[in-house]
Amino acid sequence: MNRGLAGAGLLVLLIGAALLFGPGRVAPAALWSGADEHARMVLLQLRLPRLLAALSVGAALGLAGALMQLLTRNPLAEPGLLGVNSGATLAIAVGLSLQGSLGAPGLLAWALGGALLGTLGVLALARRSRGSRAALSPLRLLLAGLALAATARGLMAFLLLMDQQGLDQFRFWLQASLARVTPQQLGLGMVPLLLGLALGLGAARPLSLLLLDDELAAGLGARPGRLRLLAVLAVGLLAGGAVAWVGPIAFLGFAAPYLARSLGWREPLPQLWASAGLGALCLLGADVLGRWLTAPFEAPLSALMALLGAPLLVLALRRDASLGLRR
Amino acid sequence: MKAAIAAGRWQRSRWLPGLLYRPAGSWALRPRARALKGALALALLGLFWLSLLAGELWLSSGQAWRALAGGSSADDAMLAFLVIEVRLPRALAALLVGASLGLAGLLLQTLARNRLASPDVIGVHDGAVLALGAGLWFSGEALLGPWWQALAGALLTLALVLLCAGGVGRQGQRVLVVGLALAALARAGFELLLATVELTHSSALYSFSMGSLLASSYSQLGPISLALAAVLLLLLPWLPGLALLQLGESQAQLLGLNVGRHRAVLLVLAATLAGLAVSVAGPIGFVALLAPLLARRWLGPLPLLGASLSGAGLTLLADLLGRLLLAPVELPAGVLSSLLGGPLLLWLLLRPDAADAADAADAED
Repeated sequence: MNRGLAGAGLLVLLIGAALLFGPGRVAPAALWSGADEHARMVLLQLRLPRLLAALSVGAALGLAGALMQLLTRNPLAEPGLLGVNSGATLAIAVGLSLQGSLGAPGLLAWALGGALLGTLGVLALARRSRGSRAALSPLRLLLAGLALAATARGLMAFLLLMDQQGLDQFRFWLQASLARVTPQQLGLGMVPLLLGLALGLGAARPLSLLLLDDELAAGLGARPGRLRLLAVLAVGLLAGGAVAWVGPIAFLGFAAPYLARSLGWREPLPQLWASAGLGALCLLGADVLGRWLTAPFEAPLSALMALLGAPLLVLALRRDASLGLRR
Repeated sequence: MKAAIAAGRWQRSRWLPGLLYRPAGSWALRPRARALKGALALALLGLFWLSLLAGELWLSSGQAWRALAGGSSADDAMLAFLVIEVRLPRALAALLVGASLGLAGLLLQTLARNRLASPDVIGVHDGAVLALGAGLWFSGEALLGPWWQALAGALLTLALVLLCAGGVGRQGQRVLVVGLALAALARAGFELLLATVELTHSSALYSFSMGSLLASSYSQLGPISLALAAVLLLLLPWLPGLALLQLGESQAQLLGLNVGRHRAVLLVLAATLAGLAVSVAGPIGFVALLAPLLARRWLGPLPLLGASLSGAGLTLLADLLGRLLLAPVELPAGVLSSLLGGPLLLWLLLRPDAADAADAADAED
């Protein structure tokens, strides 16, 4: 329980830091008195929405990663690496090229559709291999994700190259950032994420049966097909919602469950919860750090998460002999 | 088995310069392979000529010929500018870049004994791009650093990948995923770079990072052609060893090969080729992956010439299609290559026999 408390303490510290630091000085004392109108504005209009977005997107991506790892029984699975994020971005590019411009609801709808299709595709790839001789080992699945991402990138460029302005906008959007979070969109952005979180965490106990063989799970009274559908739906909501709101972020969905496992939350149920919590912690930390490190600029979150997650991936490969890397 | 036969042949003819080497004996493969190589070269020539003709302004063969030969009329002068100053350097760049990539891919795939280990998959391309762009952090003079920066970036990335993966061939597919992670790391660095420089610079850098032959000029071709020639010359004495390395480390060692030294030299040469290619055209993906695969499928186990030729052909094709598909708009060659290469890679990964073969090769180690 100590590690849980430590995590909660760290989270509280980070929340404080996220509210207090950043461009534009906010003195805590001025807030108590309520006299400083400027400070109130900065806090309520800029920093609080950003904080909420960081927490919910982080939790969403952490949980999405853990769910995908359950779903594919692959400890390296992750929405960013396996092409779910690429599916969502590609869908948005398609929507942009069909409709010209997208409002927030349109963006969300296209992204959710793309993410759902992407998750189904990944699941098909992972399951096609299981049982047959042509086993798509964890690494092969990852490479398949690489191929999907490259294809999607090519298609996006193909779609968007027609108008340079659209491409430029899209390029900025591809660099995930929390700076684009506005208080007006807070509600719309949160809805799919909270829905997905509720779905994933609420059904965590039955979902953890996905780790078992289908016959075994059925013997325990579960319906594996429905469970899988539920998990796909949750991952689609979580990943699609995150992509639509702040842009594609890779590696967090791998890093959070990995950290959870190495901190000792190994059982599926606590692992799901811990992944969500650690995801929120990591993303908030990266946001605070990014604001501070590249002070006048906004560091793209996707880059920061890759800086955190890629070394962890290398570490995982070096340490875990159980990844099926050597056959 | 094929590899073993080839290695045996290599041993017998150790004194022969590698590229001139022709397999002795009456293997059924031989005449067919030679005919295929000839056909490949012819197709390449056709593509090259086509890329001089095609574009927004289509030329006839006669026009292009007159332009190259130097006609006298004013119209000819305009055409001569188009052909000689714009299209010819571009086609030459495609040839050189493609050949380097094909060869680099073949070397890496052979050394790692894994058909998916190519410089673009394991992050060498991204490292080179990051190194080229990083010049902007230190000096604001030129947008991209000089070509040797790409070279340094490629070498450094490959060294890092091997260090983190603990060797090139021993760990099955570990080197691939480590490379994937390091590629993401290099891309993250590049994104941070994009986020912290001026807007005009970041747009130009982004275009470069898609991989295009659009801006090829003769001045770029100097270093890469010299270096390509140098690498080919340096490669020759190590080729017999490369053939032996196909048998696996312990076999090669038993046959008296200094495995470590061979591996190090060949890896450096492969990274050099990839880095040079990136310095000219940016990261054009999948050529280094697919060219050796195609060549190996039809031209035997160690098709050096075939891999170079098919790499050049693929790059020319990508550039040509990118020029023609959306006619007034040009698609960068890198976009087209990933558009075509991504599905192909997926197909390769999913084909059952491919998986079996690769896994069998892994299990041998």
